This record gives sequence, C-alpha cells and structure tokens, in this order.
Amino acid sequence: MTDRTAAASPALARRSAGRAFSPGSHLRRPEAGALLGLLAVTLFFLVFGGTGFLQPAGVASWLNVAASLGIVAIPVGLLMIAGELDISIGAMIPAGSMTVAIIAGHGDQSIWLAIAAALALGVVVGWINGTLVNVTGVPSLIVTMGTLFAMQGVVLGLSVLFTGTVSVALPPEESGPVAKFLFGQFIGGAFQVVIVWWILLTALYVFYVHFSPWGNWIFAMGGDRESARNAGIPTRRMMVLLYILSATSAAFVGLCQAILFNSAQVSAGMSYIFNAIIAVVVGGVLLTGGFGSVIGIVFGTLTFAIVNQGIYFTDFDRNWSSLIIGVMLLAAVLMNNVFRRMALNYSPKRT
Amino acid sequence: MTVTRLLAVSVLALAATAATAADIAVIGGKTDDPFWAKIKKGLEDAAMAIERDGGSVTYLQLQTYDNLGPDAAQLVRTAISQGVDGIVVPNWVPEAEDDAIRAAIDAGITVMLMNAGNIDKARELGAINYVGNDEYQAGLAAGRYFGDQGVMNVICVNTVPGAANLEARCQGVADGLAEKGGTAEQLPLPATSFGDPTAVAEAIKSTLLGNEEIRGLITISAGDADSAAIGIQQAGKTGEVMLGSFDFNEAGLQRIQAGQQGFAVDQQPYLQGFLATSLLNAYIEFGNNLPVAPIATGPGIVDSSNIEATLAGVAKGAR
Repeated sequence: MTDRTAAASPALARRSAGRAFSPGSHLRRPEAGALLGLLAVTLFFLVFGGTGFLQPAGVASWLNVAASLGIVAIPVGLLMIAGELDISIGAMIPAGSMTVAIIAGHGDQSIWLAIAAALALGVVVGWINGTLVNVTGVPSLIVTMGTLFAMQGVVLGLSVLFTGTVSVALPPEESGPVAKFLFGQFIGGAFQVVIVWWILLTALYVFYVHFSPWGNWIFAMGGDRESARNAGIPTRRMMVLLYILSATSAAFVGLCQAILFNSAQVSAGMSYIFNAIIAVVVGGVLLTGGFGSVIGIVFGTLTFAIVNQGIYFTDFDRNWSSLIIGVMLLAAVLMNNVFRRMALNYSPKRT
Repeated sequence: MTVTRLLAVSVLALAATAATAADIAVIGGKTDDPFWAKIKKGLEDAAMAIERDGGSVTYLQLQTYDNLGPDAAQLVRTAISQGVDGIVVPNWVPEAEDDAIRAAIDAGITVMLMNAGNIDKARELGAINYVGNDEYQAGLAAGRYFGDQGVMNVICVNTVPGAANLEARCQGVADGLAEKGGTAEQLPLPATSFGDPTAVAEAIKSTLLGNEEIRGLITISAGDADSAAIGIQQAGKTGEVMLGSFDFNEAGLQRIQAGQQGFAVDQQPYLQGFLATSLLNAYIEFGNNLPVAPIATGPGIVDSSNIEATLAGVAKGAR
C-alpha cells in the first residue's frame, strides 16, 4: 500500500502538507473510495468464485484486460479531470491496429515504420481534437464524436482501398521477434507484456500529475478554466497535449493488440469508450472535473477488469453477466461518492 | 405522320429486344464491401456466357447501406424502367421491397431472389427461386462437423447475444451436434467485451479453464476467432480444443493452413452471384428450371482438406 502515500492528489496534498500522518487524511484521498471498491469486488468474487481468480492464470485473466484499458483510461481520466471528454479513442484503437497491420502485414514494410505511423496518426488526431475543442468552443463530447465517426470512416475506407478487406493479418514473422517481444509477448506464458507498459506509463503519469506543476494545471483547468488561464496556465497548449496523449495511447493499445493477436479488424474498439469512462469514474474522478487521481484511475480500471472477468470464475448463468457487472460497478461508484463527500467537505483546523 | 413513324420505330425496337438474348439486372451491395465484391465476381463470370449469346448483365449497386430497403426498391424500379428481362435482387427489407418486386413481375420481368430472403418469400412474390444461405443451416453444418470429428462438448461464443442471425447460428450448432450425440452450449459475452480482443480471449481462457470437458469452440465472426485462438493457447489447450468460426479472414485461413484452427463455415458469396445470374438467364432463354428450391450456396466448410484451393480462390477474389 506504499503507492497510496506516493500518490496524493495535489489539491488535497497541499492542504494536508506538513501535518502528521493520520488515517483520516488517507481516507479523504480521491483513491480511497476506489481502493475500497476494489477490495469489495475482490471479496465478492472470492466468496462466489473461489480463489481461482487469484491464482496466476486467473490474475492474468483480469490483469491483461486491465492493462489495455488502463493505458487508455489514464489520459481519458486526466481529460475528465480537466473537464473534457475524448470518445474518439473508440476509433483510434482500430486505427492503430489497422495502421500497423496494413503497413507491416499487408504492405510488407518494416514493423518499426508501421508502429511509428500508428503513433504519428494518434498525434495528428489528438492535435485535431485539442485544437477543435480550443478553437470552436463546441463541447468536447460533440467534437470527439465527430472525429470518432470520421476516423471510423477513414479506417474503413483506407483499409478497403489498400487491402480490399476489413480484416488484415499480421503474422508473427512480419512483426519480427523484437516487436513481438516488446508489444505482443506473454510473460511467463500468461501475462501480456502490455501490463509492463501500463505500469511504466502509470509511474510516469503519477510523477507528472502529482509531483510536477503540470498536474496542478490540469486540476486547475477542471476547476475553473478562466481563472486558470488568468493565473498564467497555458490552458490551450495543455488541452492539445492531453488530447494527443489520449489519442496516441489509444493507437498504442491498438498496435499492441494487432501484434499480439496477429490480426486487426476495422470494427474493434468501441467498447473502450464506455469502459474507459466507467473505469475513470469508478476510480473516483468527478464527472464534472477538478477532482481525481492517477492511482484512483488505476484502482478503477482494476475494479472494472475484475468485475468483468470475475464472472467467468463463478457459477452464475452467463446470461446475467451484464446485470452483475452493472450492479457491481454502481455499488463501487456509490462507495466512492461517500468518500468524496468526506474529502470535499473536510476542512482542517487552522493553526 | 410523326406519330406513326414513332410507333413503327418502337414496334421495331420491341421486336429487336425480344429477338435478342436476356438482359439481366442484378441489384446488390457496394462493391467496396469485400463480401459483395465476391458476389460481383460471380455474376461477372456468369455474364461472360450470357454476353456471348448477345445478352447483358448490369450490376445496380447501392451507394450506401443507410436506407437499405427503399434504396433497393428504387433500384428495382430503375431496372423495370430499363426494360430488362430478368432481375436478381436480395430481399433485405421485405416491407420496403415487396411492392417493387411485384411491380416487376407484373411487368413481365422474371425475378430471382438472392442472398437475403427465403424460398417461402420467393413463392409468395412469384420469383422463380432463392439462391443464398441460411444461418441456422450453417450452424447445423458446423455442429455436425464437430460431431463427425468426435468433438462432443462445444461452446458457441456469441459476442452479440440477442442478434437473431447469430442466435440462429449457435442454435444450429447445438442441434447439429445433438444429432451426433454431443452437446453445445452458448457462451454469451457481455456487451463490455465486444470489440475488445483481450476481453474476449480472457473470457474464453477462463471458461476453458473452468470447464475441462470442453473440446470444441466456435465463434460467430472471423475476428472473434483471432481472439479465441489466443484464448485457447493461453488456456494451454491448443490441439486439445478444436476451433471453428463462422466466416473467415486472412489470419483464420493461415491458422487452418498451419493446423491451429479446425475449420471455418462459409456462405460462398461467389456462388450466389454466379448461380443466381446464370440460372435466371437459363430460365428466361431456354426454359430451364431447377427443381431444387431453395438453392443453398452455404454452408461450405473450409478445413485442411480444401484450404489450398480456398487460398487460390482468395487470390482470385472469389473467396
């Protein structure tokens, strides 16, 4: 649990800075509710599914799902903390996987060129998203819905144009051993290497969001955009940067999937839109912005993955899976709300 | 004077049309849709023989799928106004298309239903036959294939539970395998998994680990089979659990070639275009009529026995 202490939200951390350790200050962190939600669902599946899902194969089952989702959920969560949404990730995941599969699998070009192209596409679409949100003032839900559909069209159109099909193979020999090792291997035969990327990226995010000025800027933008700009925060540049992060992260998840599954489909990825937002909200981020933490989003992602995959370790009729997922997630969010209210209403004694 | 000449010209023109071979209009989907590209390849091959006899085949394609029924009905009326002898048309949305199809038949045009519809509908409208696929039959074929291979405990992984055609596929698998003495169950995945290959793969892995009895697995789409292959491998059951899929993609064919996938069920779109067009022509021109109705182009099974021929067909754009 040492990571909890390392990941204080700046808004609250600054307030409690200099005070001695107290259980109360930990409970009021944004990730406290998320952690309790995580423990609660783990307990639920331990009771109803046995210890199977805490065995290595079972852990891999939800950790693999969490890793891909988590890499997208953190930048989406940061955007939500800054008061915006990005649903174009649903198209950027297949855009990333199809770019890699078309260039390296169909076109027989270098896998590194293909990976660079996929990431570059993410940067371009992210830049377009951020710039449009800045310039037009149209709600980001609508802007990114536009780019969501536009990118779906681009991916489908270009795929049919170049390959004549909507599903492109990327055989292991086209990926090559190095790319397969970095992006598409199973560590220990069960754990996707994406998990390592998720951990590394999470560490970077924790540092930049909670231990550098950038983090405070993001929270300030979500709190009050005008005041943030008046205080000298480059809100427009930050916005473009955040959108580039989310689109590029989505393209990255897509390219990892293509290399791992040896194939790419134009239609994949839409479920990530909802799932990422769910993970972020379960992780304690306020839908209206200004409140949340990276570690909270990580807990939210794990909670979502455990709820989603834990079902397969129980004897519940599979027809009821969605119902159980819905109820458990709602319970996790409600638990979160209690803690958030505690945190937001708390005022320390002046000394 | 002018009127008489006009009449004479039109009578001559009519006589000329009647004297030459059949002009056939085929209504279908967009040609940048890979599935319809294969149907078009089939009807183009049929057109070669028809054109040799002086007939013609015109492909009238939808520009979008946004307004499927009314657009297809409009294309039927376009074909009527072109004065064709025969129309091949998919009955996607009967409510929207039936009137146009009846109008064509009333105008003396011979109609063949293809790809979408069924034989009852063809008889009701007065079309000569239905050439196409039946999802339930496709499922039956898959179930029997598992049974013949001695795979008696199968799950049908449905990533879009509730879709009628996919439910029909899984039901067919269950019934087909039951004939051979086995059992198949559907594994419906929650909507949160759709389009997330890792979630689908992990769901399959967990299910296989949780139930050691399962020996076969079939997915409702080619893309899900990519996920299932990883799921089976992760469960350590490669070679132990036979993988099948409805439809196939390039990666699936490579797996069948490498022996990592048992089979794929195909509705053989090339045959739909080829047979519907040439049978309609033979009916109009020579009075030939097949007693077989409906004419099922699927299910065709692709497995190790015909994978090389299938790959050759893929290279030629027919598979």
